[in-house]
Amino acid sequence: MKEKLKQISDVKWQIPLGARERMNVPCIVYGTKKIIEQAEDAALEQLTNVACLPGVIAPVIGAPDIHWGYGLPMGAIGAFDAEEGIISSGCTGFDINCGIYLIKTNLEKQEVVKNIRPLIDLLFKNIPSGVGATGRLKVTEQQIDDVLVNGAKWAVENGYAIEADLERMEENGCIAGADPTKVSSLAKKRGRPQLGTLGAGNHFLEVQAVDQIFDERTAKIFGIENKDQVVIMLHCGSRGLGHEVATDYLKIHAQASKKYNIWLPDSQLVCAPAKSNEGQDYFKAMKCAANYAFCNRTVMTGWVRETFEKIFKKSWEDMEMQTVYHLCHNICKLEEHEVDGKKRKLYVHRKGATRALPPGHPLVPKIYRSAGQPVLIAGTMGTASYILVGTEKGKESFYSTCHGSGRVMSRNAAIKKFWGSDVKKALEAKGKIVRATHPKVLSEEAPEAYKDVDEVIESVHKAGISLKVARMVPLGTAKG
Amino acid sequence: MRYKFIEDLTSDVMFEAYGKTVEELFVNASLALFEVVCQIKKIKPEKSINVKAEGEDLKDLLYNWLSNLLAQSEINELFFCKFDIKIKKNSKYTATGKALGEPITKEKGETVVKGITYYKFKLEKTKEGYIARIACDI
Repeated sequence: MKEKLKQISDVKWQIPLGARERMNVPCIVYGTKKIIEQAEDAALEQLTNVACLPGVIAPVIGAPDIHWGYGLPMGAIGAFDAEEGIISSGCTGFDINCGIYLIKTNLEKQEVVKNIRPLIDLLFKNIPSGVGATGRLKVTEQQIDDVLVNGAKWAVENGYAIEADLERMEENGCIAGADPTKVSSLAKKRGRPQLGTLGAGNHFLEVQAVDQIFDERTAKIFGIENKDQVVIMLHCGSRGLGHEVATDYLKIHAQASKKYNIWLPDSQLVCAPAKSNEGQDYFKAMKCAANYAFCNRTVMTGWVRETFEKIFKKSWEDMEMQTVYHLCHNICKLEEHEVDGKKRKLYVHRKGATRALPPGHPLVPKIYRSAGQPVLIAGTMGTASYILVGTEKGKESFYSTCHGSGRVMSRNAAIKKFWGSDVKKALEAKGKIVRATHPKVLSEEAPEAYKDVDEVIESVHKAGISLKVARMVPLGTAKG
Repeated sequence: MRYKFIEDLTSDVMFEAYGKTVEELFVNASLALFEVVCQIKKIKPEKSINVKAEGEDLKDLLYNWLSNLLAQSEINELFFCKFDIKIKKNSKYTATGKALGEPITKEKGETVVKGITYYKFKLEKTKEGYIARIACDI
């Protein structure tokens, strides 16, 4: 597939119509030459598969962190007409509303570094993580429905966060139209004990220090005042509840694809017509899972603040631990976009991709509206993370950008190549403290298993679909 | 050989499971799945739960069985290490059986399997018995 790429600019490439049979629209991939060289052929082919689906709107997008996924690759965006198109549980994936929560502080790097070991140890203890981790709270059957409808608002009502946090969240931490009757009792059973848990794999909680500010004005608006300022990044999703919603609807969409005669170039791209019951039921259930994830991360934020209070003997308000932003990067949303000069409603599937709205957009929180939407990009344990901002140029990518660094090495290969204890030592030699449930997680998530995040960010910055605001480096990480 | 892991996916895990009978295939696929989830060799079959799944055909049944095991592991807060499975065919295929294991502990966990996927998913009858290929999203 790579040989069929046409270079449009330094950082923009097209997979033209006809690169494979039955494509309805071309695909666009963003990335420097190095990023494109690293991209897997199979991932590019997956973009072209999505380009074959009914009602797809040009173009199907690959972000520079693209890597092979199921159906839609990770680091990709597929938009479909709300009338003629489809909704796909396969395109959204298993970890519905996997996302990022960023909290700022007024603490300086030096002060935190002195306490980093007890801080990470206590965060590791207070924020439940690992396979099958259960939370410190057990929600009842009635409460789980409230969580699914109200999302992060539930966390505020129950004292884990405050109203002002909600103003700094995508969708204010709650997507309207969630219907818990569309979520199976099995999914709810999985979700009840896991609210307020990090999970495992690439999910993490990281204490970071700002090491570069590229755009002082925007950084200031987002609450990033100076170099060495400490922030906290939380990366996780909707846990077993979201996994079960995906599993349940993949089966329903497999049937629906047959029922509505939708030709699938890949069986993992199962879907249903956007207006069908199967499509709309999934959309309502997916919103429930998304709200669970918003609530999950917000509950943990409360515990992060508590932990900082214990270590630094100050109130979280004194440490100015406000929310910077809270967003999702695995989601399907009904949005309005301009297509061929006309406004149209589209179902935009972002998988390992972040919404990035421009300055002035009504969905950007009022306090940030003059700057644009904050975009939070997670690096890996050893490398940098970024804050970006959405731009008007992002219109060409359905106001979307990348989400992370993207893997270049399989988990198995990483486990074979790196010893967890060596990864830990190497990070600690650089002054980065890591706590994980077991060393294998560290092998799997070794920084070398990922693309160079700086190169990924340069790609979207040069393309102009989102711009660099600040760069953060890890001081300490707690992993599941 | 009961099962083997295949190097195919950048971000995930794929395995093949084998069995002389379809029941043995299901047991071996279940064991492979829980080798991904936990340190299966350290898990003792202390507790047992009943598990059931249905499917239109054997492939569908295996998908549903493995998906249900993931759910039951979380709901019952158990890591599984042993399986006892019976498969019947009436109007649909049904698998009933027991999954045995011990309570989840952080130290014995390996990776969260988010789901069983349809990617290159297969179940075939061979000269020796049955073979299945399963890719897990992790």
